[in-house]
Amino acid sequence: MITFRKPIEDIDRPQMEADVVIIGGGPAGMACALRLSQLIDEHNAHHPDSQLSKDNIYVLEKAREVGQHCLSGALLDPRSMRELLPGFESEAPIDAEVTKESVYFLSKDKARKFPIVPPPLRDHGNYVISINKFVKWLSEKVEAAGITVFTGFAGSELLFEDDSRDADTARVTGVRTDDKGVDKQGQPKANFEPGYDLRAKITILAEGTRGNCAKQLTERLELEDFYHAQTYGVGIKELWEIPAGRVAKGEVIYTLGYPLTTKEYGGAWIYGISDTLVSVGYVTGLDYEDPRTDPHHVFQDFKEHPFARHLLEGGKMIRYGAKTLPYGGWLTMPRISGNGWMILGDSASFLNSQRLKGIHLAIKSGMLAAETAFDALLSGDNSADTLSEYKAAVDKSWIKDELFPVRNFHQAFEHGLYDGMIKAGLQQLMHGSNLGPDSKNEAGYLRMKHADALSPYGDGRHHFLYNAKGDGKLTFDRLTDVYHSGTRHEDDQPVHLVIKDLDICNNRCVKEFGNPCQYFCPAAVYEIVETSETHSGKQLHINFANCVHCKTCDIMDPYQIVNWVPPEGGGGPNYDGM
Amino acid sequence: MKILVCIKQVPQKDAPLKLNESGTWIREDVSYEVNEPDAYALEEALRQKEKHGGEVVVITAGPARSQQVLREALAKGADRAIHLEDDKFVQLDSTNTARAIAAAVAEENFDLIVTGLQSDDFGAAQTGVLLAEILGLPHATIIIGIEKTDSGLHLKRELEAGHYQYVDLPTPAVLTIQSGINKLRYASLIGIKQAKNKPLRKVAWAEVEPKLSKNLQQIERLYVPVKQKKTEMIDGPAAEVARKVTEYLKNTARVI
Repeated sequence: MITFRKPIEDIDRPQMEADVVIIGGGPAGMACALRLSQLIDEHNAHHPDSQLSKDNIYVLEKAREVGQHCLSGALLDPRSMRELLPGFESEAPIDAEVTKESVYFLSKDKARKFPIVPPPLRDHGNYVISINKFVKWLSEKVEAAGITVFTGFAGSELLFEDDSRDADTARVTGVRTDDKGVDKQGQPKANFEPGYDLRAKITILAEGTRGNCAKQLTERLELEDFYHAQTYGVGIKELWEIPAGRVAKGEVIYTLGYPLTTKEYGGAWIYGISDTLVSVGYVTGLDYEDPRTDPHHVFQDFKEHPFARHLLEGGKMIRYGAKTLPYGGWLTMPRISGNGWMILGDSASFLNSQRLKGIHLAIKSGMLAAETAFDALLSGDNSADTLSEYKAAVDKSWIKDELFPVRNFHQAFEHGLYDGMIKAGLQQLMHGSNLGPDSKNEAGYLRMKHADALSPYGDGRHHFLYNAKGDGKLTFDRLTDVYHSGTRHEDDQPVHLVIKDLDICNNRCVKEFGNPCQYFCPAAVYEIVETSETHSGKQLHINFANCVHCKTCDIMDPYQIVNWVPPEGGGGPNYDGM
Repeated sequence: MKILVCIKQVPQKDAPLKLNESGTWIREDVSYEVNEPDAYALEEALRQKEKHGGEVVVITAGPARSQQVLREALAKGADRAIHLEDDKFVQLDSTNTARAIAAAVAEENFDLIVTGLQSDDFGAAQTGVLLAEILGLPHATIIIGIEKTDSGLHLKRELEAGHYQYVDLPTPAVLTIQSGINKLRYASLIGIKQAKNKPLRKVAWAEVEPKLSKNLQQIERLYVPVKQKKTEMIDGPAAEVARKVTEYLKNTARVI
């Protein structure tokens, strides 16, 4: 019997008043906090008789330390940072400036270099960074500015004024933090510490990809349009130490093609952090049709391709991580503000999938939301009307200039790679337009096929179906990789992967899809074990302590019965240096 | 009771450790946390204060980053903090660390000084005991139970193989605490917020330097153990092989 996590009921929760609560201390949340602080400082300098206080502005971060749940390649387009902190380059942790870039198309054992680098992938002027170190640095600025960052506290659910489900009238009144000290039966332990109800004038959701509060809000207020559903990819990353001379510091390489077939969306990145340290990873679109596909295996497969093998062989994998990213772009952006709330960054689709970059957009969205929040604090009006300034500001900013022209980019690939490359090429010439209306986009899990509709031969995919075994040197099984993610959770707590109906997993999914969770999870959380307790003879076992908080299960589960909620704050991966 | 808790900041347990250039310590680009036994020492101090009243003061020695462990302690309920702040404190051996702490609290009279029984990084298990010697106080180590009595403290010590020892000490005294003596509390949001306004006294290197001497211990070389596997074939008749295997397991491997 699995007990799932839910807030403990019928207890007196401590309350705390707040002006602004930012849920999530990533690039978007930290930029938002910092911009807000700048505006308050500016105001206070000019208005000695009407001072604004920062005492009640808070950032919630579920990781034990800021940055430990942040994962990206990462390349930083410095545009927004130069606006936020002019001259930031002199003090920010930057590994290298991009000096060289190339794109390859891989077939089974060959790599063909694109004669020219497609303009969107030209990265000169961008920086190779560790997003973990970068965000840690940003948070030091935020704390030095006098804003409190609560690390080890997750936003477990949003608080609403009433039962309204209408986006125009519903009001978010704050957020509840996670209950701490709950045992695996869901009972309070001796050191139980109830989650707080943070009553906020403005609640800002900056949780990153598929945020749980953002999901709660999206579902409750029906913010997402079925035909413009968010689509995602899952990025699997390893950090490798390699012999010098193979990749230059600041070199950027992208690949398309193998091991994926033309039916799946995805590709690899290789970023030279130093002469001997390289970030290598693979993004697989979470809209594949074969439920046996294992994105972690796709990446392992990629490393066995001669192109990657030459780069990595004899080196040493030192860190691992996995995280989803939203691909949908401008057309899948939900409503981003309402009464008392705004959404930033990845949670609100601020990512350019054509350029494979989102950090700069996350930062910019945080800055714009901060400007709106500041005006609201000043006027004392946090209504949807006032906060809609945020969307207006986004529309007027370079975010729209950047995202609108590529709005149909990912959608072009829904019929495969070749079709997509032709369409994307045409869009490039036509400033983003299709030959018809804008593309529609259904949720990726809808494309997954039933097990009995699949070719027994795997359609040329057999090499990445099912879990990778790994050779322990170049390739790894998931458990070895998870070990290198530094993931740690309190063992004695309820399962935070909340499954609405286990009967679907144990009986229906076994037959229909063959339990794809055991393949798509890059952290081996889901395991199917033999049992006599179910009709099918199979039962789902959840190793929640392995969870790297990537959200793949929440996104890709074909029945949409998995709800990822934050475990006890502080638990999760440790992406130090990633 | 006026209680001092000595806390050390150590690399996180799951931090990827790499040796520094000179091979004498690790590279410092990792995340840090409170040394685990010290967290239990703090919890025990807070519980004693809750039972008997008084004050809990926390102290650490280390660079600016180590202020984090003091903030955490203040958030959990400590009343004030003392930070011996300088990068140089990291290089001190146990004796000098104990001297520095003793110098920093020379003006104060604590009824009880507690600390973890050892640090997760160096694992020397000396600082607490040396501090007692320097201050001229009685001490007891590996404590898993503290009871205040009329004359002082009734203590439970953990020995090997499931044995315990009970000792009585007068106060003031120094105790080194074993992990698991209690159940750690979580810091609350309001605690974290209030911690910002609690007093934190910084002590500079120069203030305690006169009390220090040359390190008595230092790390010469640190290296990653090389994994090796050796296979030995034992030939001969079955009875003979069995006898040799048993002998090996008994005398060399010492597993039976």
